Amino acid sequence: MASTRDIRRRIKSVKNTRQITKAMELVAASKMKKAQSAALAGRPYAQLLASMLASLASRVEESAHPFLVKREVKTRGILLVTTDKGLCGPLNANLFKLVSEIKTPAKFVAIGRKGSQFLARTQRDLIADFPVHDRVPFNEVKVAVEFLMKQYLEGVVDTVEVIYARFKNTLVQEPIIRPILPLSNVAEFQALVDPKSVNADTRDMLFEPSAPAVLDALLPFYVNRYLYQVVLSAKASEHSARMVAMKTAKDNATKLVGELSLEYNKARQAAITQEILEIAAASFSAA
Amino acid sequence: MPLTLEIVTPEARVYSDVIETVVIPTVQGEIGILPGHIPLLTQVTAGEMRVTTKDGRTEYLAVGDGFAEIDGDKVSVLAERAINEATIDEDAVQKAQARAEEALRTRDQLDPAEVERLEGIVRFSVAQLDLKRRRR
Repeated sequence: MASTRDIRRRIKSVKNTRQITKAMELVAASKMKKAQSAALAGRPYAQLLASMLASLASRVEESAHPFLVKREVKTRGILLVTTDKGLCGPLNANLFKLVSEIKTPAKFVAIGRKGSQFLARTQRDLIADFPVHDRVPFNEVKVAVEFLMKQYLEGVVDTVEVIYARFKNTLVQEPIIRPILPLSNVAEFQALVDPKSVNADTRDMLFEPSAPAVLDALLPFYVNRYLYQVVLSAKASEHSARMVAMKTAKDNATKLVGELSLEYNKARQAAITQEILEIAAASFSAA
Repeated sequence: MPLTLEIVTPEARVYSDVIETVVIPTVQGEIGILPGHIPLLTQVTAGEMRVTTKDGRTEYLAVGDGFAEIDGDKVSVLAERAINEATIDEDAVQKAQARAEEALRTRDQLDPAEVERLEGIVRFSVAQLDLKRRRR
């Protein structure tokens, strides 16, 4: 049996760990609240934008804008959105699993340090990585998106897809891969999001100032906004996952402290009994 | 068949109601929307929106840059920013405008996305002040 001093030392160290995980849980919880409300507040906007695009895409020729043209896919372009820091449960590992399933040639762009580390480690073709802070400024995401769109227009990549952890609720974050460019499948995607918004009016649509001008403004804007929403969602997932992971760690530490205390008390009791026996035996033999 | 108007910004759903008519500022000038309008997709520019509600009142809103779609009896406006006339805080707007203009003075050092954002703020501020002053 371990000595009482060893047990006491372990209890102390586990208590320290518990304190740290508890602090991290609280920090993650407050960040989570902010990230969640940001992600949820942005949803109607992104959805309305998608529905505008869907009604637009169904009414113009595919060749009207390079973003609408389906090309033969030689190289996929994939944006991997991960966290900067670890300690958030299986969140990143689940995303990496999705990445590992990609066998066709692909080039990667990463947001988040964990992702770029993983891609470098597995020797994939990482063409750029971008840092995005916790508050998710639109401009930081925009830089990454502009880069991707440029690669797409120049033909370096033939699709743009994004892998991220979609925020469902605090306990559930779903790793998902979503196609972004070409936008030809936006109509189906829209039906998926909101099946009741089918085009209400069958008359020809009017574009002002002109169809190309509206397309030029709306399509890049949509891609920007959509990916911004994706990053917001990923951040909400990150903080939720971290909070849950830290809560589990804290609960485990509490349980461990309980078990160790029991063991410590037993050891202490045994030592006292032993001592009394020894004193009694000594006084017998002296008498 | 009355119209349904929906104004959504990245932060919130600003307006969602059944209305009579609405006047939207677009890049080609103001357009009035009445029920039965032809499907339309247009670019919205910073300015004032006039909404005639079901009971005949007129509401004024300042909107930022964005897009508007009319499809059937649904009018959807997607704007960077939007605010109801009643809730405009003139002092705060003036300060925001001054801040943005101050930052724009060094526009050569800023990246294009930031300049675009600041210019958006200035345009929206001007639209808000314009609306507020005219309504007094």
